This record gives sequence, C-alpha cells and structure tokens, in this order.
Amino acid sequence: MSAVIKIENLTKIYKLSKRREVTGLLNFNLEVEEGEIFGLLGPNGSGKTTLLKIMLGLISPTKGKVEILGKRMDNVEVKKDIGFLPENPYYYEYLTGSELLDFYGDIFDLPENVKRRRSQELLSTVGLAKVKHMVLRNYSKGMLERIGLACALLNNPKLLILDEPTTGLDPIGGRETRDLLLGLKKEGKTILLSSHFLSEVERICDRIGILDQGRLLAVGRLKELLKERKVETFEDLFIKIVKNNV
Amino acid sequence: MYKPAVIAKNSFKELLRKKGLQVLLVFGLILIGSSRLFSFLTPGEEMKMIKDVGLSTIEFFGALIVIFGAIGALSSEVEKKTLYTLLAKPLKRRDFVLGKFLGLSLATLLNFLLMAIFFIGLLLFKEHTVSSGIFKALILILFELFLIAAIALAVSTFASPAFTMIFSLFLYLVGHLIGYGHSLMEQTESALLKAAGTLFYRIIPNFENFNIRDKVAVDIFVRWNYLVKTIGYSLIYIAVALLIGIYFFQKREI
Amino acid sequence: MLRPDPHKHKFAIKIFSTIIILLIGISFLQKSINLQRKVEDLEARLLLMPGEIAGSLILVGFRGIGADLLWLQVHHCWHSGQHYRMLPLFNAITFLQPHFITPWAVGGWHMAYNIYVLMKTEKEKNQWLQAGLDFLKKGTQHNPDRYDLHFELGWTYYHKAKDYPNAIKYFEKAIKFPHPDYVDNCLAHAYAKNGQIGNSIKHWEYIRDRSPGFNKVAVRILHNLKTYGSVNAPEENE
Repeated sequence: MSAVIKIENLTKIYKLSKRREVTGLLNFNLEVEEGEIFGLLGPNGSGKTTLLKIMLGLISPTKGKVEILGKRMDNVEVKKDIGFLPENPYYYEYLTGSELLDFYGDIFDLPENVKRRRSQELLSTVGLAKVKHMVLRNYSKGMLERIGLACALLNNPKLLILDEPTTGLDPIGGRETRDLLLGLKKEGKTILLSSHFLSEVERICDRIGILDQGRLLAVGRLKELLKERKVETFEDLFIKIVKNNV
Repeated sequence: MYKPAVIAKNSFKELLRKKGLQVLLVFGLILIGSSRLFSFLTPGEEMKMIKDVGLSTIEFFGALIVIFGAIGALSSEVEKKTLYTLLAKPLKRRDFVLGKFLGLSLATLLNFLLMAIFFIGLLLFKEHTVSSGIFKALILILFELFLIAAIALAVSTFASPAFTMIFSLFLYLVGHLIGYGHSLMEQTESALLKAAGTLFYRIIPNFENFNIRDKVAVDIFVRWNYLVKTIGYSLIYIAVALLIGIYFFQKREI
Repeated sequence: MLRPDPHKHKFAIKIFSTIIILLIGISFLQKSINLQRKVEDLEARLLLMPGEIAGSLILVGFRGIGADLLWLQVHHCWHSGQHYRMLPLFNAITFLQPHFITPWAVGGWHMAYNIYVLMKTEKEKNQWLQAGLDFLKKGTQHNPDRYDLHFELGWTYYHKAKDYPNAIKYFEKAIKFPHPDYVDNCLAHAYAKNGQIGNSIKHWEYIRDRSPGFNKVAVRILHNLKTYGSVNAPEENE
C-alpha cells in the first residue's frame, strides 16, 4: 500500500497585521494510505479546515510540503482524482440539480456520454433523481448535502475529501451516507473526512487523527489509542487529549 | 470544452438573473426613449439631441451595468462559497478569471445590443437613415465597456466590492480627464509633478479615445483606421487588466 | 522568507514584464491616436463652469449632452426675453461643440438683429452688427466645408449691413458646397444690387435651367434685367 496523502512539516501562519499572527497549522505531518478511511477530529478552530484548504490548493502553506497521489498540490491535474464535499455546501442556486452536475462535469472535462451516465447514476444513488429538474434554491439542507456528495463523486475520484459530511442530514440520511462511504472504501477509494461527530468517526474510520490548535496530537487506530491512553471511550480519549494540550 | 468557456457560460447565466442590472437596463432604455421629448426644437436640433442623449446613455448605463456586473461576478462566488468548491476542482485560476471576463463581456454585449437596437430603431423612426458615424461611435462605446469590465474585474480580484465600485467609477472619471490633466502637468515647472503626470498618463487608460459621439452627433466624419487603432488600444489594455487580475487572483487565499 | 514556492517570483516577473511591454506598446498607440484626434478634429475641449450641471457633465466626457442642456437654456432665455444672458451661452456651446451649426447661426442673428434693435444710438447698433458678423465668421472658420454659415454670414451682410461686395464673397463660398436653391437666388440678387448685372443674368440663367421651383421667378427677373437693367420692372418699383 502506498501513501495517497503525504504531508510533511506543514505550517500555516495567517498574518492579520504586521505584528499579529495566528497559527493555523504547525509542523503538521500525516500519511494516509490507499483504501483507508481516515477521520480528522478536532474542536472548532483546531485547523481542520485550514488543512483541507491547503490540500485543495485554496490557500498556500507558509512552510512544508503536501503530496497527493504522488503529485504536488500546485499541479491542478491532481484535482482530477479528488472529490471534495465542503461543509454546508452551497451551489449556484439558479441551476437545477442536473445542470449543476453538468457544469462540474465540464470542469472535470468528462466526455459527454460519461458525464450523462455518471450524473444519472449518482442522482439515483443519492436519491435525488426525482428532483433533478428543480432549481437548487428550492432544495432543503439535506438535499444540498446529497447533491454535494453527487458532485464530489462525479469524477470517480481516487481520493474523497469530506468536510463534516453528515451535518445537514437527518438520521436516515446520515446512515445512508455512512453506508455509501463504506461501499466506496470497498471499491478501493481513500477517504479523508473531518468531523466533530465522534460516533460517526468511531463507526466508519480505520484510523483517526486528533487536532487542536494547529497541531496533530494523536494519530492511529482507535483501539490502540484507547489502550495507549488508558481510557474507556472515544469521548474520554478526545477530551483527555484536547485538555492536556491546553 | 474549453474551461473558460464553461465558466463564461455559467457566469453569463448568473448575470442575466441579477435584478439590479435589469433595472439599470430599463432605466437606460427609458432615458434613450425620453430624448424624443425634445421635439419642440427644430428637426435638426432634435436629431442632434436624440443622438447625444442616446449615445451618452448607452455609454453611461453600459458602464454602470458593467461595473456592477463585474463586482457581482467574483464577490458572489466568494460570499456564497461556490468558489471554494469550484477551485477544488481541476480548474486553473487563470481560466477562472478569463472565463469570468468572457461571461461578463457576453452579458455586456447583450445589454449593449438591447440599448443600441432600441436607439437605432428610434433614429430610423425619425430620420429613415442612420449614418455610419453612429455605428462607429457605438462600436467604440462597446470596446470601452469591455475595457471597463476587464478593469473592474481585475480590481475585484484583490479588493472588496465597495472599493471596487468606488475605484472603477473613479477611474472612469479620471480616464476621461487624463488627457487634460496631462497637458496641464506639462506646463508645470516642477520636474517631479511632470514626471508623476507622465507616469499616470502612461498607466491610466484614456477613455476619451473612445469618445467620438460628440462629433458624430454633428456629422463629423471619423475614419475607420481611427477605430482600428482604438480597438487595438482597448484590447491591449484589456490584456494588461486581465494579467493584473490573474496575478492577484493566483495569490488570493480563499 | 519561509515561502517554499520558487515559482512565485518567476510568475510575478513574467506577468509584470509582460505588462510593462504592453504599456510601452500602448504609449506609442496613444501618440498615434492623439495625433489623429488633433488632425481630424476629433479632439474635445474642456470647459469648466462651476455650479452648472452642464459643467459637471462635460467633465465626465458628456460634452454633447452639456451643450444640449445649454442650448435648452438659450431657448428658455429667449422666451423670457433675457437677451444678454444668451451671449455667454452661445460662446460656451460653440466652444464645446464648434461643429454644432445652429448655435453659431442663431447667435450671430441674435446679435446682428435682436440686440441691434434694442440699441438706441447708431454707434451701438453698428457695434452689435459687427459683433454678429464676427461671431458668424468664427463659425465659418470652424465649419469651412459646409454652406450653412457662409450663407448666414452672406445674408447678414446682404440684408442687414447692405454690404453687397462682402455678401457676394460669402454667398460665392456657400454655393461651393451642397446647398438649397434659395442660396443661388440670394447670390443672383446680390450681384444685381452690387451693379454686376452681367453676373446676375448669368446666375439667373443658371437658376432657370437648374431649379424648377424658381423657374418662373427666374424667367421674369431675367426679362426685367435684360429689358430694364434691374431686377424689378419700373412699375413694380412704385
């Protein structure tokens, strides 16, 4: 197995003014292997979003290196193999569901027939086939989350990056999403998801990383971490690690 | 499909839906139509006024539509975080800026055509012929609008919407006066002022180049080679503005 | 610097050197445009009038509209009898749009006729007549290639100043450009008044052959000129 994500010494410092700086990430190191589901956990403001943004080339790191699928992130071509679902996805509200997929399909440069076929498949997978001709303005929060997932899978990505994927979903939707993710894992896809739902992460992730104040405080399999830190539950583990850091 | 074209198509769709721009267009059309109120003047005077009001309205309202459109083109994607999703896809930022410019230009062209056709219809209704001068003036206005679009878009890649609006309107004003400013500066004694004047004159686009409407309204003949030069001028400046836009957008943290 | 990206500087250098090259190219183009604007009379003039809406419009490059608004003010002054307030307006409009013919024509007429009659002394009357003629002359200098102002000037010499040699001079200029038929009539009349009967006959013959509208008049006047040596028959004179 080879590393799909390889992050070395990643540091991001936000300059607010000449004197004031805020550390987003500090000397962050991480490797995620092919075919695993990796869960990124941390309280709000811990640096999860900063990390994802750097990985997607939306912001540039102050220091360090990110390699995805063996390529540096400033190479846009890498993104052909990445699917991304942002937190609270918001799309062009004047497009319909199928128009949105069509638009992103063009951005991915998918051939016309592949684009058609994948859109159809994905719309029924996420359960939106009936409302594909409705404009997104009229979609509910959960529907937006689902169409977002469809967009993220449109290019049949090798790596899927999900930021808080089940926030907007009801329990049934959350369940369906989890099953979908496990199915994707079986297909050999690598998934990186950030969340603060401990139960969600506990159920589907192979390994987890706990972040706070821009640092990776713990990384490994959940069972091993519990044993290592001598705690019973995931919740205790999380609280212990984050509190120790303060 | 060519990536900028994909972006252009989508942003064109979005611009057409903007209520504010539709309102501006309607105002523009009303103003062009209202020039018929001057019918108490002699026929020659009336025609001149219809031409003045029509051409000036197309330019001024065109400029407003372009500036507001440019501001919305980028800021709406930033505010609504659609940019976040879009740039996570295999899309070069350069192509995004180019696409936005193309979409904006397309929307500009459409607004321009609506006003121009209405105006020409009015002239035909009154006079039964339209001189080539009117078409020349219209063509130069269109290229002036494209240039304003590129500049406003470039500014909006690094500045807030409010700043973009103020700056673009200010540049529009200064760009019309820069020629006079330069000849005033030439007469000063201070070498520093002179140098500063020349520098500004070299950097700020001279929008007066595009202004032949005061001349065609009184039937002065303008040669086609003047149009070729001025269109070339606008295309080069558009390239400069887009390069600046691409540079800042490339650096932008999203 | 912590920045790990060596491409960053290269990128900036590439972009900005291209921009500088383009701006240099543009400055040559601007020179050529400036020259053409000057030579082909496309240049616009700047006139500052504090407090005037027209003034502010002119600033932003809407000279045409500015001139139109001033022209509407002339109309207003006219109907409210403010004769002297019109004079600066004429100057301003013709300065802004020297190829807008009507203000030249109306301004000259206004001075030579309307203000003329308001004056009490002969000296003052002549001063305003001269002012009107000068204004029209300035107009012809800006618009030498059209008949309009040459004709207006000729007419003012002919009708108001009774200065026939000058009238002939400007009517002759006017007919060099496309013009309505009555301009020829005026010239032919001016020849006769100036005693150039031969020229007058030639020109009436020209009118007789060329302009059907004036054919009857021309035939009658030609008869009179050839018989009595004057435009009118002796009995008509009384």
